[in-house]
Amino acid sequence: MDAYFYIILVVGLLSSIICAAAGILKKAPNDTTILSVAAVELALLVYLVGSVVRVASGEQIAGELWEFWGYLATALLLPIGAVYWAILERTRWSNFVLAAVGVTALVMAARMNQIWY
Amino acid sequence: MEEAENVNAKSSQDGTSNPAGSASGITGAADAGPAAAGSTETGAAETAPPATDTRNTGPGRLLIAVYAVFAISATARAGYQILTKFSEAPLAYLLSAFAAAVYVVATVSLAKPGRTAFKVSVAAVLVELVGVLVVGALSVFDSVNFPHETVWSLFGRGYGFIPLLLPILGLIWLYRRRPAPRHH
Repeated sequence: MDAYFYIILVVGLLSSIICAAAGILKKAPNDTTILSVAAVELALLVYLVGSVVRVASGEQIAGELWEFWGYLATALLLPIGAVYWAILERTRWSNFVLAAVGVTALVMAARMNQIWY
Repeated sequence: MEEAENVNAKSSQDGTSNPAGSASGITGAADAGPAAAGSTETGAAETAPPATDTRNTGPGRLLIAVYAVFAISATARAGYQILTKFSEAPLAYLLSAFAAAVYVVATVSLAKPGRTAFKVSVAAVLVELVGVLVVGALSVFDSVNFPHETVWSLFGRGYGFIPLLLPILGLIWLYRRRPAPRHH
């Protein structure tokens, strides 16, 4: 596991905890929860840029290339989709949808690390 | 709130008084979609009125979101398995593809209002429950033919047992939001 994974681990877990807590407290999605999901997206973008740089500088991905990029592309779409949903229906339940993003991104980052090494 | 409930009641009447066929039933209910979505904001989720068509709002949205994630990941995984190593374990990979299809159908039907979508949801979620139980049991007792490579293997252990939990939660949700009985 590399630094990219640990960044997403910390940011993803924090975001999930914040969003789940807001959901339990019966709050609708607000700036805090949406920004925490935006932070997950940012962490994934850092992973994307870092990976592009590493590949461009000649590093080899051990596993399937398209599998790695497929995971990364899907992971990048998750926060956007979840926030879009949260804006469409602003109830406490949308916070649980937002909470699912961090954990899912974390699992996908772990899988991406497995593919890379 | 009062107003929203009236709209809901009216829309479910529209649904029941429309014997012309399932297709028109769906469109009638779909029109009522936004109105139904508005009513849950006031916390209709806790009271759970069974007569209203609010399966795709509140907790239902969370359920749909989780189903959508599983639909995407199962489809991607099955596609990968079938395209690259189908001959290694055809049965397991066909099961993967079947599981993926069930998740896709469940996601779409849960998101759609209307009676037909409700029936499709119940069927898909039941198939999913049977699938995870049967494949889970087979993968435990006959690990030669089921080399732990589907979403449902070992009762979905590779996915944090969510595949086992999901159909149970799905059935509870569908039961709580079942359509009102049909009367003419």
